[in-house]
Amino acid sequence: MSTLNDDDRANLTAYLDGELDEEAAQALEAKLSQDAAARAEVEELRQAWTMLDYLPRSSPSATFTHRTMEKLSLEKLPVETGKMPAAGGSVWLSPAGWAAAVAAALALGYVSSQHLWRPVPDPDEPLVKHLQLIEKWRAYEAVEDLEFLKALDHPDYFGDDLGS
Amino acid sequence: MAMTGETSTQLALRDPDIRLMLRVRNDDSAAFAELVELYHQRLVTIMQHLVNSAEEAEDLAQEVFLRVFRGRKKYHPRAKFSTWLFTIANNLALNVLRTRQRKPAIPLNVRDSGPLGPRPAEQLVLDRERSPHDRMQQQELAAIVQQALGTLNERQRVAVVLNKFEDMNYAEIAEVMELTTKAVKSLLSRARENLRIALKDYIYMERGQAGQAEPKGADDEEGEV
Repeated sequence: MSTLNDDDRANLTAYLDGELDEEAAQALEAKLSQDAAARAEVEELRQAWTMLDYLPRSSPSATFTHRTMEKLSLEKLPVETGKMPAAGGSVWLSPAGWAAAVAAALALGYVSSQHLWRPVPDPDEPLVKHLQLIEKWRAYEAVEDLEFLKALDHPDYFGDDLGS
Repeated sequence: MAMTGETSTQLALRDPDIRLMLRVRNDDSAAFAELVELYHQRLVTIMQHLVNSAEEAEDLAQEVFLRVFRGRKKYHPRAKFSTWLFTIANNLALNVLRTRQRKPAIPLNVRDSGPLGPRPAEQLVLDRERSPHDRMQQQELAAIVQQALGTLNERQRVAVVLNKFEDMNYAEIAEVMELTTKAVKSLLSRARENLRIALKDYIYMERGQAGQAEPKGADDEEGEV
């Protein structure tokens, strides 16, 4: 009969996964060294985990990416979101009504822009803007000296006429 | 894993897939195709183990990628790209499993022509490589393990699959499942104890397959699956 308590049991998996802090791991190891039944339990946990390797792993079909891109292209077709004009008689405003509506819209727009609408800055904007630079950053870091980089462009090193 | 203190630029420098995703955010379809090509195998495997169906797994993986594309403009690099991708996958898989619980389907025997069986071409390769006895035992073990995995609840299964097949540590699993690391530790502990109990009586078969130990007597009791 194993001497492990509930807390020890709760720690066993974390111990096997290397997720237990050093102190707790040492305490558990001390218990395990004294307890053959507990060691057997640990071994069963380990073996049961290994058995998951028997789960079948089927490969996705070779056309997966192609099919996904195809589906995407269908989704990207422009979708008409505007409402169709209502059937039947239309409502006409008088010139004064139009003027009042336009003035009201302008006033509302101004007030909104001044008081209500605050553009939320995109924290990733600089990242997206300089993505090309970031992608080559490792190479740029290795160069260190701009003069050296310019010298590499000299025809004597990597001449343009190598292929001619 | 939550990468507190790291800026999105630092993350992008370290994770090439984040850089790809940022190109996707800028409507670069080629970058998206590259991401699909890079991740589809892993994603289909995870989905297959979560929903227990190879065909459904492909459809779900495709849906995950489409969600990635649809949500590209809202993408902000805060963790590894794979963590974000598997968070979307986890949410989708959990929805499917919950819907399925409400409308249970007739279970198929995974040993027969079930969706988890290998494709015909793969089966031929496997058949040539193994003796009939080995093949039978391998199939039997696969079915038993599948059944054992089926005894876990949804969240336990997600944690197990991410830990086992994606090699994610507890912090990464916590990020994907939106839980604390402590909750993941407890979830995995219970899950692995359940697996141990379910598979206890079959461990000798696994050892037999590996040629490490002699099998127990044929009159051994059935496992508690």
